[in-house]
Amino acid sequence: MKPKHQFQAEHVVSGYEHRRVVHGVSLSIPSNRISVIIGANACGKSTLLKTMARLLKPESGRITLDGKSTDQYPPKQLARIVGLLPQSPIVPEGISVADLIGRGRFPHQTWLGGWTKKDYEAVAEAMEIMKITELANHNIDELSGGQRQRVWIAMALAQQTDILFLDEPTTFLDITYQVEILDLLTDLNRKHGTTIVMVLHDINLSARYADYIFALREGTLIAEGEPSKVISSDLIKDVFGLECTVISDPVSGSPLIVPIGRHHVNV
Amino acid sequence: MNTTINTIMSGRRKRRRRYVLITTILSIISLVLCGLMLYLGNTIYTVEQIVRVLTGEQIKGASFAIETIRLPRMLAGLFAGFAFGLAGSVFQTMLRNPLANPNVLGITSGSSVAAVFCIVILHSNEFVIFIASVIAGLATVTVLYLLSIRKSFSLGRLILIGIGLDAMLGSVIAYLLRISSEYDISKAYRWLSGSLNGAQMEELPPLIITVVLCTPIIILLGKHLSMLELGEQAATSLGVHTDKTRIALILGTVCMIAVATATTGPIAFVAFLAGPIASRLVGIGYSTAVPGGLVGVILVLASDLIGQFAFETKFPVGVITGILGAPYLIYLLIRMNRKGDF
Repeated sequence: MKPKHQFQAEHVVSGYEHRRVVHGVSLSIPSNRISVIIGANACGKSTLLKTMARLLKPESGRITLDGKSTDQYPPKQLARIVGLLPQSPIVPEGISVADLIGRGRFPHQTWLGGWTKKDYEAVAEAMEIMKITELANHNIDELSGGQRQRVWIAMALAQQTDILFLDEPTTFLDITYQVEILDLLTDLNRKHGTTIVMVLHDINLSARYADYIFALREGTLIAEGEPSKVISSDLIKDVFGLECTVISDPVSGSPLIVPIGRHHVNV
Repeated sequence: MNTTINTIMSGRRKRRRRYVLITTILSIISLVLCGLMLYLGNTIYTVEQIVRVLTGEQIKGASFAIETIRLPRMLAGLFAGFAFGLAGSVFQTMLRNPLANPNVLGITSGSSVAAVFCIVILHSNEFVIFIASVIAGLATVTVLYLLSIRKSFSLGRLILIGIGLDAMLGSVIAYLLRISSEYDISKAYRWLSGSLNGAQMEELPPLIITVVLCTPIIILLGKHLSMLELGEQAATSLGVHTDKTRIALILGTVCMIAVATATTGPIAFVAFLAGPIASRLVGIGYSTAVPGGLVGVILVLASDLIGQFAFETKFPVGVITGILGAPYLIYLLIRMNRKGDF
């Protein structure tokens, strides 16, 4: 099982050149659990995730890992504890699946050394978890969108971090693949205890797969907690500006939101 | 688990074998071309005579032809070709764009402006021209990088600014040539077209030293370079200092390019062609730096031999590489356009 870590954002203000997006967020990531950040488009959820994964420097406030600010860790050492799957990683043209996943081993390798036994084991394990072993020597260009996404996640897994951030890992995928990816991530969390933090668009899948939810509106955190406690029609109205009814998901028992809209309303 | 490991291992072994094989073949071709550069000429000497001259013996006629003409020409082509090829392929990998290239981004033009200025305005000697063009190349890349980083590094911005700089510097060259005297024009043109003609032994040490010093640094950064290919975000989250890596790679490669350009003039398209040819040959997933350098050597030496011996008139090497490179540039532009890269 992965060790426990304390990962916190303290009064984080962050954004881009001319636009501040996150306005002072403080939160603590539950260790060894799955957390999902939800919020409307442009509410700052991706920006917050990027700031936590040190792709963006916070304007003020800080991100700490086990009490120490993350920018005080040597990058490679931090990369052995915290990993991130970006929203749209760039595929080097024509690379083989195994080689690409192997790049996730970078923080564990020396400058010139080749692959060690541990590297092979980590890559093989990542491929087995993502169920893509038969693709090992395929060219990445030959794969479908769903397969590619599994390869990317496998790369992040080969990094063998205790904490894994994923920026919309299911975007652009069919519903079947969305569920499959979320199931695989849950396996990873339940079997290995990997702390997972992700941004998801689908509220119902978030409510089902998350142990813990962070709800963001206009760059501030307005609610957090277990899905069954925080997801309510009031919260959804607040976060997304959407009228809805919340019922119990007949499959999982988690909250399920049913949007109301202006048409087709029978009640 | 073990079967998976075996599959991965056998795949990697296969790719590795191909890489080693291709690199060996490229090295052999380069060596053969080096040999031909010493062998071919107005007078053909025997291999034995050539070896004797190279080991320091004085042979009437042969010593002069080989030591003062053919050997410097061969070494200039060898080291400049390697520098252009290696630097070009590193740039293309680092910037993830086959068009991203010292020639296209104005670095070569920066060196050229300085050289032409020294030739037509200051009437400087060779040494001053050399120093000025190296400094100008490095200055151009510094300006280019500073303009393109702003708050965070942007690839698109770098390429656009580079193309802009190149056009601007190109017009400066045109202006300098316009106001220069007839005698200087031909000297400037000779510099601009890139040539191994008149390479002299005492001009070569800076180039050789630069290549010998910079190549290991770039090889050492090979793994970091392949991480940059995954994009800024993935590389950063995998623990790569992206800015430092990029600056180190740019410094190393631009030093090589600037010194090679100052020695032979800008040999057209070598830096641009070598990378894509090398990556086509070795397959992807491997650093194309060294194979790219070797392809550069082959392009320069083969083109120089063609320029010297294939036609009735002799052509400088840059003319031949230009003829080879231009169609490829057009092909690349058409292909990128079809793929919607623009």
